[in-house]
Amino acid sequence: MPDIVTAVLAEIAWPFALMLAWVVGELGHRWLTLPRVSSYGIVGFLLAAGQAGVLPHTREGPMAMLADAAFGLILFELGYRVHLGWLRANRWIAVTSVVEAFGCFVAVFFVARAFSVDMVRALLLASLSMSTSPAAVLRVANELRSSGQVTERTLHLSAFNCMLAVIAFKIVVGYGLLLDDGGILHAVWSSLVVLAVSAGVGVLFGVSVPRLLRLLGGMDRNATLAFAVAVLALTALTHGLRFSPLLAALAFGIVARHRRIVLSQAQRNFGALGDLLTILLFVFVAATIEWRQAAAGIWLALAVIGVRLMVKTAATTLFARASGIGWRKGALTGLALTPLSVFAILLLEQSRHLGLGLLDELKAIMAMVLLLEVIGPVVTQRALIWAGEALRREDG
Amino acid sequence: MALECFKQSQPLTMGVELELQLIDPADLDLSASAPDLLHLLARGRFPGQVKPEITESMIEVATDVQREYGDLLAQLRRIRDALTQAGERLNVSICGGGTHPFQRWFNQRVFASPRFKQLSDLYGYLAKQFTVFGQHVHIGCGSADEAMFLLHALNRYVPQFIALSASSPYSQGEDTLFDSARLNSVFAFPLSGRAPFLLTWEDFDRSYFTKMEKTGVVKSMKDFYWDIRPKPEFGTIELRVCDTPLTVERAAQLACYLQAVCRHLLAREEPPPCEDDYLVYSYNRFQACRFGLDGIVVHPRTHESRPLREDILDTIERVGQHAAVLGGEAALAEIRSIAAREGNDAGFLRRMRAEEGSVQGIVDAAVRRFRERERGST
Repeated sequence: MPDIVTAVLAEIAWPFALMLAWVVGELGHRWLTLPRVSSYGIVGFLLAAGQAGVLPHTREGPMAMLADAAFGLILFELGYRVHLGWLRANRWIAVTSVVEAFGCFVAVFFVARAFSVDMVRALLLASLSMSTSPAAVLRVANELRSSGQVTERTLHLSAFNCMLAVIAFKIVVGYGLLLDDGGILHAVWSSLVVLAVSAGVGVLFGVSVPRLLRLLGGMDRNATLAFAVAVLALTALTHGLRFSPLLAALAFGIVARHRRIVLSQAQRNFGALGDLLTILLFVFVAATIEWRQAAAGIWLALAVIGVRLMVKTAATTLFARASGIGWRKGALTGLALTPLSVFAILLLEQSRHLGLGLLDELKAIMAMVLLLEVIGPVVTQRALIWAGEALRREDG
Repeated sequence: MALECFKQSQPLTMGVELELQLIDPADLDLSASAPDLLHLLARGRFPGQVKPEITESMIEVATDVQREYGDLLAQLRRIRDALTQAGERLNVSICGGGTHPFQRWFNQRVFASPRFKQLSDLYGYLAKQFTVFGQHVHIGCGSADEAMFLLHALNRYVPQFIALSASSPYSQGEDTLFDSARLNSVFAFPLSGRAPFLLTWEDFDRSYFTKMEKTGVVKSMKDFYWDIRPKPEFGTIELRVCDTPLTVERAAQLACYLQAVCRHLLAREEPPPCEDDYLVYSYNRFQACRFGLDGIVVHPRTHESRPLREDILDTIERVGQHAAVLGGEAALAEIRSIAAREGNDAGFLRRMRAEEGSVQGIVDAAVRRFRERERGST
């Protein structure tokens, strides 16, 4: 193929992939009641460099940056829904969160060791498995216009376990660098300093942006756009400086919410901008997966998925009554926490510059992402419907 | 089903029902949390009654039969505390107010029960538009005929209760310029308005209810959405025009004001009600909904126009001795303060809108107000 054709194809590949993903998403939703994000993932995976080869191999550059921004918006929105006061009013929520997250860490670590994964990689896998993908749960909950305790708890637990996962992950990275003889300074910088600065910048935004809004007045109308712009700036800043955009965006959302300026319901998902970026995000993430690598890690992946599901469901069920809901809703909360993909991949992508070669060697993560990309959102969707929290058809 | 027998009850006893809003603390919109909240409350002892309402973002609580302000207030406070605590465990906020300022009616979900499903099928979107929140006050009646007398004798006082309780100035995100926009949702129902002018239970049964039943339009008293309706199974009349106030204190005060007015009417210190009293009824009611305490009402007998505020202060003078006998002086003093100085909850909500700068700020203020104990009251 002449170079010029290749160049043109490379340029148009992304927009067309997004269009295709959107069409498949709508059809899958209509015909199979599949969550839209599941379809986006399937399209991204199939078109990826490693499969059909339509999408160019771009792990750096503008697409990665946009994916970060998309995820930043989602994490901000999730953070904005988190109510820290709930942990004080109902300590069992906090207990559930800690037990399900660290329970996953411990269980997955032992499973990985049993599959003869080396120490550092087993720890990395364990820390990533703690998290529930906020992108999947938030998008599915919004798509179903779901409301109730399973929804509420899934979103809160997802926000908390992501935060715990980032912290655990960065600490393990620091530990890994130390073992690799990267020097103590490099290790501390890449873990503790990155954590502190990322969270700090997020908090700073959370304090200053609402203050700015108050100064400008007319908060009813401006809040959504102002927050979107601020999230984009924050993501670019932390991405550029190689801090953690994920942690920063989540911290921004949580602090902004507790500064008491509120988004109205019409602005969920950040409107059409959020919808567009979500397609991009899910296509991008799935496109990082290579079939051959994923296949190599499939058995470990299945074991981890199984253990993770068991631990999360056990924790949410065990503390269900104590925290004020029935066993059934407790168990469904655990199920709804299944999705993993986006969060783990972006976390790995953002650590690429450390040269640990994490993504390529953690084949099990590839396989897990591939499996859960489609299945995860479906499980969440079913759990919310079974809990009776989705908007019913006769109501819609 | 024939009209039920009117069960006698202790005259001038009271019962209060409040429809309350369930709020998502994240965005302060309504939250479809009634099933989870009811599930949790069913596990413990609730200091009153609690039941679902037509949409899942509403909940209804009711007191036992009470005689005095102090006891009524104490039970309402226990109910409020139990609800707030349960809400905190589930991350659901609870507040009063006749409407939610910015909820979208089409986002509401009808509670899954056969009766609500049937109402939803019959009334269509009106059922979801009915996500409004009222206070109902029951007053015990010694006989069915006494109930019919009281129901009609109260006609001239209905606007007072609308104006005093009004707490629904906002609807669907906008200031309606009404103090009670909630009642506009109620008027949309075909069987709303006032009861037919019949002064004995027998007449009511024979000349109205039985005929209506034969038309197939109604099956029981439940199908009427009148401003005041007899409730034969309780032996009460039920005043239904009040918006749910922002505090349980005010709810108790309104009930005790009604109790005092009823005692005054039963003493027959006023000329008996007549059909022509209703000539000005709808007009006065509109004035109360639209302008609240500043509404100008027309006296049905003297045809004199005057501000509702004055009319209320005047009535307070006349019923003062009855309130004293009933142990409701403190309540009456609070009602006087609403009329004379403080203004109704609609005014408070408008001030919050101005202060906080957003409709979400209104809900936030309402949630805080529902939780806190009012200063100075018992």
